[in-house]
Amino acid sequence: MRILRFVGRRLLQLIPVLLGVVVLTFLLVRVLPGDPIRSILGPNATEADADAARARFGLDQPMWKQFLDYLQGLFTGDFGTSIQSGGSVGGEMALRLGPTLELVVIAVTIAVLLAIWLGIWSARRADRVGDHTVRIFALFGNSIPEFWLGLVLILVGYATLGWFPAPSGRVDPDTNLTPLTGADLVDALITGNGPAIASSAAHLVLPVLTLVIGVLAPLLRSVRASALEVLRSEAYAAAAAHGLPEKTLLRGYLRRATLVRLPSLAALVFGTALGSTVLIEYVYSWQGFGQWALRGLLYRDYPVVQASVLIIAFAYVLVFLIADVVHAWLDPRVKI
Amino acid sequence: MTAPAGTPGREAAMTVSLLDIQDLSVVIHRPGRSVAALSNVSFTVAPGEVVGLVGESGGGKSMVARAIVGMLPNGSHATGRVGFDGADVLRMDPADLAAHRGRGAAICFQNPRGALSPTRTVGRQLIDRLVTHQKMTGDRAAESAKELFASVGIRNPGRRLEAFPHELSGGMAQRVMISLATGCAPGLLIADEPTTGLDVTLTREILRQFRHAADTDGRGVLLISHDLASIAEVCDRVVVLYAGTVVETGPAAKVLREPAHPYTRALLRSVPDVNGGRVVPTAGGMPLMTAAPHDCPFAPRCAHAGEDCRTARPETTSLTDGWSLACFHPQETALFAPQEAAPASPSDPAPLPDPQGGSSVAPGASVTADNAEQAGRVVLRVQDAHVVYRSRFGSGGHHALRGVDLELRAGETLGVVGESGCGKSTLAKLIMGLVEPSSGSVAVAGKTVGKMSRVERTRAQMVFQDPIGSLSPRRTVADSIAEPLRAAKVPADARAAKTEAALSRMELDNSILTRYPHELSGGQAQRVGIARALVGQPDLIVFDEPTSALDVTVQAQILDVIADVASDAGHGSVFISHDLATVRGFADRVVVLYLGRVVEEGPVDEVFDRPKHPYTRALLGSAPRLGESRTAEVQLVKDLDEADAATGCALAARCPFVTDTCRSQEQTLQSYGESRAACWRVPELTALIGKSA
Repeated sequence: MRILRFVGRRLLQLIPVLLGVVVLTFLLVRVLPGDPIRSILGPNATEADADAARARFGLDQPMWKQFLDYLQGLFTGDFGTSIQSGGSVGGEMALRLGPTLELVVIAVTIAVLLAIWLGIWSARRADRVGDHTVRIFALFGNSIPEFWLGLVLILVGYATLGWFPAPSGRVDPDTNLTPLTGADLVDALITGNGPAIASSAAHLVLPVLTLVIGVLAPLLRSVRASALEVLRSEAYAAAAAHGLPEKTLLRGYLRRATLVRLPSLAALVFGTALGSTVLIEYVYSWQGFGQWALRGLLYRDYPVVQASVLIIAFAYVLVFLIADVVHAWLDPRVKI
Repeated sequence: MTAPAGTPGREAAMTVSLLDIQDLSVVIHRPGRSVAALSNVSFTVAPGEVVGLVGESGGGKSMVARAIVGMLPNGSHATGRVGFDGADVLRMDPADLAAHRGRGAAICFQNPRGALSPTRTVGRQLIDRLVTHQKMTGDRAAESAKELFASVGIRNPGRRLEAFPHELSGGMAQRVMISLATGCAPGLLIADEPTTGLDVTLTREILRQFRHAADTDGRGVLLISHDLASIAEVCDRVVVLYAGTVVETGPAAKVLREPAHPYTRALLRSVPDVNGGRVVPTAGGMPLMTAAPHDCPFAPRCAHAGEDCRTARPETTSLTDGWSLACFHPQETALFAPQEAAPASPSDPAPLPDPQGGSSVAPGASVTADNAEQAGRVVLRVQDAHVVYRSRFGSGGHHALRGVDLELRAGETLGVVGESGCGKSTLAKLIMGLVEPSSGSVAVAGKTVGKMSRVERTRAQMVFQDPIGSLSPRRTVADSIAEPLRAAKVPADARAAKTEAALSRMELDNSILTRYPHELSGGQAQRVGIARALVGQPDLIVFDEPTSALDVTVQAQILDVIADVASDAGHGSVFISHDLATVRGFADRVVVLYLGRVVEEGPVDEVFDRPKHPYTRALLGSAPRLGESRTAEVQLVKDLDEADAATGCALAARCPFVTDTCRSQEQTLQSYGESRAACWRVPELTALIGKSA
């Protein structure tokens, strides 16, 4: 009950945050040098053509009018029209968001689980060979640029071994997958399309692996550090001195106490991953949200930039809300 | 070494020893240095026996406990034998060790709040132990957890099982810790400083739990403590450790009353006594041994040491049945010299250490108007002060002080006592202007504290509980001491002279001036703290539990210094302590606080020898007294945190003499003889106590 009230209160706080984001991005994107109209019209267009185009996208209106129109559109679920493609921003985004979310959610989930398991394993063997090996590999993963790692994985996984499909899409077109959410594996599972499940899963392996290796290190270090802290705490020593068996110690006295600090870091990692998958999307030709947002920014496609920033902000707030609830659930000392 | 015979009547249980430590030495190797934590320690504990392990920090008490459960720190090298039920703990393989921990020997940890896992309910933690060691399953374990909680005096055990450690008070957490240790059904129960940080009224109750475990369940109990006097009552035998060596072993009563080793005597004489006996400090501190000693480690601090003590280490020799010590010069005279021991009788109040010659308040006399004029100007006046800590959001909050009136004159020392949570520290903060009174007023030297300028604020100084923590780690001792002078805008050259003068009064060498706090011992740091308070010749010094973080013999040294400082005519002193005995040493008047109210007030001897209020009686009754075992004439019925004082007398929920009048009527201070107490039943109490006894 308390949790529900907390969630309700936090969701209400979402409104001013998002409103602030809307105002800021609306202003900032217009302050940036460059003109979206010129970038679509090409060098031969006359001033009259440009004016006509401006009028078409409502850019001839005064700023406050543009903003009110934009705001009104947002309330009716209309994110505007892309200057670049002329299509509905909402529709394009829905198509793009699914694949990226699928990639990031799967990767971060795997990274968190792996970090918990490896971090605790590593802490229990602190300063022994296994511990050092794990830490060195995590550090390597963190230091290698993602696009390079992606290329190496393609080279090994596709070109040399041939185990995984070519980095040219998210699912084999021959499987006739009906797109529903845009997340191909989810769509395949919903429609029960067997070959599509296999194909989309196979396409996911390499990009997910690239992302996991990239984000694992900070999570792993955090879990290891807090597990060590718990292991050296008086409370754990007391439980051990009372002769509790290893299994009870691990499950009852180490794991939960260790995980207490993880949720906020995991939320941060998730948010960063969502915004920064663009390189991985490029390498794997993953027609995703990051690429779309980046192109929007490059061409000063105002509605696209505004919508993508809004979505990322929304995702951050939502993920941190989830993290806070999970934190409160893990740590009885936290009052929400 | 065979188990020494214990008290008569327990003879049968004594024949087999449960724990048999023989010649145990532990050396801890760290990069760059090694520490001899224990050197040739031998003692035994039999089933059903309570053995006290006594000594100051650094003496090796906790190391003994760790050795018994086979959890010595990394890099330690142990020799000798820790015999337990025939097996040697030091040579156990991991499987045997796992079986030994908990079931064989279980530790009750010193800081129960820290030793309970924060993310697991206490019930669950207890059930873990029951399942592991008593092979119980599900419902039966839950049922027996409830019984165990009830048996250690936890009310509402069913509900408490669901509690997380942070939801428990200190006393409750300690009870849970005891139930966890007994839940392992151990042969030997080890309690590491089980009563540190607990209030006097609770201390006795907790110690009784250990006696109970030995008497009814036949467990061996090893009670580790720095305070010989408080644990002696429940112990059969005591073992005194100094610098990792056993200096004296023997029946508790004997060691307590006729200690033969100079260290044991120093230990006992360092503890202030509620009866008013003076503390006799022993100079110096415990050395850190780098190797097993070849001489008597106590020799440098010992008044009786001869040449032999410095060249050879005394063997442990047996005196009488079960009493042995390691000393070339055992002492047989009375612990306190006659003139020091005498003033304990209540009919003849102890002459106070005379504050400042003629202008002092006569011993035992109330502060009447003309006396007060003699004693000088008023340095502190607190009038009907209330302090409410508001909760962060919304209404409500914690009412820390509820109408306190105080008046203190220069040259006078006021003792403030009470259990934790009674508002002592809030009172200190209030006087220093660190919290604002919600209503009422506080004036130091005639000026309202809240309206003082920065320079005027230096007129009141404070000595803190944590000596090292209250000094800035990045400032040298000289800088720290000169802090109030800088605040008072004293020029630099005058500062240096005053700093050195203050330091020499603390009997510290000038070479200490350039050191940093982490290079000081606790005793030195507290002397620096006192020098800092003293340097600006303030009107008022507030001592907030200045010795509770120090070792016993160091505490005695500091108390001696404070007694000297408090007797200055130039300033008034407020001495705040939870320990009644320390207050009695040098306070002229004493105020007993309970839940933010003054429940009794008067001249120190009057209050201590003829307490009026039931709460004061309970406090005094629970305080340990050297060589006496007596039960408190008034025993409070509940823990502090369970008492809810909505209306009427604050003590109503815990008082054994409560009536409906108490519950409905607010009690105010009324004069009874020379002291004042906030209880309307005072005239009847003597008869009531007689009836219940």
